[in-house]
Amino acid sequence: MEGSDWLDRLRYRFGSHATDSETGSWPEWYRNYRVTLAGRTVSPDQLLRELPIVVLDAETTGLQVTRDRILSLGALRVYGNSIHLAEKFEGYLPTPPHHTPGDSVAIHGIIPNSRRYTYSDEPTLLAELLDYLGASIIVGHHIGFDLEMINRSLARHGAGPLQNRIIDTAQLAKRLRPAGYWTPEGEYSLDSLARRYRIPLSDRHTALGDCYITAVLWLKLLTRLAIKIGHDLHLRDL
Amino acid sequence: MPNQVTHRVCDFLKDIEPFSYLDRAVLLQVAARVEVRYQPPGTVVFRPGEPPRDRFYVVKEGTIELFSEDQSGEELLVERCGEGELFGIRPLLADDNYVFVARAAEESLLYAVNSEGFRDLIGNYPRVLQYLLASMAGSTRYARAYRAATAKSTAPAPDEVTPDLQALQFVQQSREPIVCQPEQTIIDAAKAMTEAEVGSIVVVDEAQHPVGIVTDRDLRRSVATALVSRQSPVSAIMSSPVVCIGERATIADVQIAMLRSGYHHLVQTADGTDRSAVTGVISEHDVLLAQGNHPAVLIQEIGRAKSPRYLRELRDRAEAILAGLLDKEVAISYITAVMTQINDAIIRKSMKLALARMQADGHGNPPALFDWLALGSQGRGEQLLRTDQDNALIFEDVPEEHYNAVKAYFLQLADYVTEYLNTAGYSYCDGNMMASNPKWCLSVAKWKAQFSRWMHDNTAEHLLNTSIFFDYRGVWGNGSLPDKLTAHIFAEMEGHSTRFQASLARAALQNPSPLTFFRNFVVERSGEHKDQFDLKARAMRPLTDAARILILSARKGNINNTFLRYEALAKLEPQNAQLYQDAAEAYEVLIRLRAVLGLKRGDSGRFVAPSELTRVQRLLLRNSFAPVREIQQLLELRFQLTFLR
Repeated sequence: MEGSDWLDRLRYRFGSHATDSETGSWPEWYRNYRVTLAGRTVSPDQLLRELPIVVLDAETTGLQVTRDRILSLGALRVYGNSIHLAEKFEGYLPTPPHHTPGDSVAIHGIIPNSRRYTYSDEPTLLAELLDYLGASIIVGHHIGFDLEMINRSLARHGAGPLQNRIIDTAQLAKRLRPAGYWTPEGEYSLDSLARRYRIPLSDRHTALGDCYITAVLWLKLLTRLAIKIGHDLHLRDL
Repeated sequence: MPNQVTHRVCDFLKDIEPFSYLDRAVLLQVAARVEVRYQPPGTVVFRPGEPPRDRFYVVKEGTIELFSEDQSGEELLVERCGEGELFGIRPLLADDNYVFVARAAEESLLYAVNSEGFRDLIGNYPRVLQYLLASMAGSTRYARAYRAATAKSTAPAPDEVTPDLQALQFVQQSREPIVCQPEQTIIDAAKAMTEAEVGSIVVVDEAQHPVGIVTDRDLRRSVATALVSRQSPVSAIMSSPVVCIGERATIADVQIAMLRSGYHHLVQTADGTDRSAVTGVISEHDVLLAQGNHPAVLIQEIGRAKSPRYLRELRDRAEAILAGLLDKEVAISYITAVMTQINDAIIRKSMKLALARMQADGHGNPPALFDWLALGSQGRGEQLLRTDQDNALIFEDVPEEHYNAVKAYFLQLADYVTEYLNTAGYSYCDGNMMASNPKWCLSVAKWKAQFSRWMHDNTAEHLLNTSIFFDYRGVWGNGSLPDKLTAHIFAEMEGHSTRFQASLARAALQNPSPLTFFRNFVVERSGEHKDQFDLKARAMRPLTDAARILILSARKGNINNTFLRYEALAKLEPQNAQLYQDAAEAYEVLIRLRAVLGLKRGDSGRFVAPSELTRVQRLLLRNSFAPVREIQQLLELRFQLTFLR
């Protein structure tokens, strides 16, 4: 998921310039979300640590955005230097019937329709997610893929795409230590970065577990970036 | 279903006191509300004077250092908290402001535990309560802060222990309350408190029902900062309503009520509500004293003992008290004071029994004035477990023709005393450094002569003898005789001080046997204790020896306790204050560790295998090596230079 230019274009096409006919057909929960977002504008001069951040991760049936589906969503709120575990977001979806459990089960360990989880349905989960997100800045690792999965899911249910500001921790890590001869592209995977910044890799490949690792990575990267730039980080610095 | 991250937090907390006392389900609830806080190096978690937050902290990764600030704003390192350690628990128990600066020494991750939710649990888990109270009140970590925050000391100096122990009463018998009317002025209330030497005054209505309370702290907060005029009525600054408790409340009731309310003072009333008359006041301090109740009872019981065998039983009971104090991590200065009192009581009782025996044998009363001296660790007031006896007897000079008869009497007396002590569990000294040895039972003049000989002819044995004799304490007698000997020793030292001190220093630096390394530890290479670490010889003795020599060369020979010696040295040599403080702290760690191990194994705790230590103990022990090494380097440097000159 290279950069987010294409995403911005996408957002431009679907989002801000949505026609009245489109907005009219939006479900109520999406309209509410847009009202919340419209009510909060963030200035690029605001300090990052004063802004509401949500770290987001999705587990899916596979990596093909056209075919695969979301299995679970996890999110954690970060205020300043703290991750609030009590305000977590966590939701599971049943595995769609036409999906045969494949390699992905081995990755995320979610056994199709296991009784360990309480499942909700896609529109409910999306509505809850948007309610949780509000106007927060979304942080995620290689977040483009997760966003695309969520946006496609939103579109399937007649809603527009996510409109929040997005920050990709992989991009942030690259900025801190650009890829080059010594740092091949693969070095920016969540595993390698967690290893580089000494974050224990427990509960990897659960939505919330990855969120937690990403959240700690986010805090560590921010501090290092602030040192590199030489002042407290503002939104415009990213 | 709680999520994986919560489970992970829970797994981490479950091995850490006091979370270890909680049930899994409850701990999961606690974990679910944790905030994970990231602290870049050098950033501050909280500062002194900041109001308490609704959370306390556990270090997940990294290191947090706590500093106290002295008047000049200098920061002193109080505590270094590593992985799995708690700090900032003050807000959990009291509404006090923070006392220390907490700062990340390296990149750290903290679990901030919500104290509101946690406080609700405490009532159901007495061990959690006990742990928290102990760590607030007694542990080394909080002792300083606590002492600073409360007017009276919770860890009294040795000479204050006796009255405290005797005055101990259960909470029912709390003192007569000092009261005033709401309209009286603050200054009058303060005067009444000062006169009665109390830290609080209860404000009552006409019917003597409590309407409020004013404590020292309220006075400091409002009046000292000139927020309120001293002429204002007390009602302007009193805390109201008060928390009441009935007259038949147990200590546990009181503790829980204090925790729930966050108040340090409770008012006792006839029916336990504020609608009846005030009958007393209980402060946090009273509770702490009440908890230390048992040593006083034990000492009384020792006084009543009729046989040395019963003394042994009582001394076994003292070990249970010791285990409790160690378990609660009470300050070592308090523990050593209590145990020294108990040991002294047993020595005195043995002496009384021996004197009675002499009478019964027809030897009559002692033919001359005498003093019984405790030597070694008991002499320094640092003995926790029963170790070998080290003692001596000194009697006044008598005419030459009576000398042998007098000495025979005292040798017989010493025989009985050492026998009784042996029965009580203090085994005979291998080196025969006991008053029953003719060389250690002498008149003042002969002691002086013997001492001069030891000093002039400094063989290893003589050096050991002299060094042991600098750590004595009179346990029986009026102390006038050993004072004469001390004066003589210092007069002698004037002449030979340089050479003598250098010899002592060299003896202190001698390494007793070859060593090898085992998991970061210097362990014995051969013999009975192969692969074990000799706590006494390798870590404790270097510290006690160094303290003794340094204090002698500073001509402060009358200080005979290792902690007090380092304290005095730190004042004398401000440039080395940090090292001396570190050395004292290391010594404290070692004393505690040795007692804990000794109690567990039922021996003196002297030898330790690295594998039997917990991770924390191993860390503590290893950290204590640094000051040992540094203090030895200091000795080497200082006395070699003196020696060469």
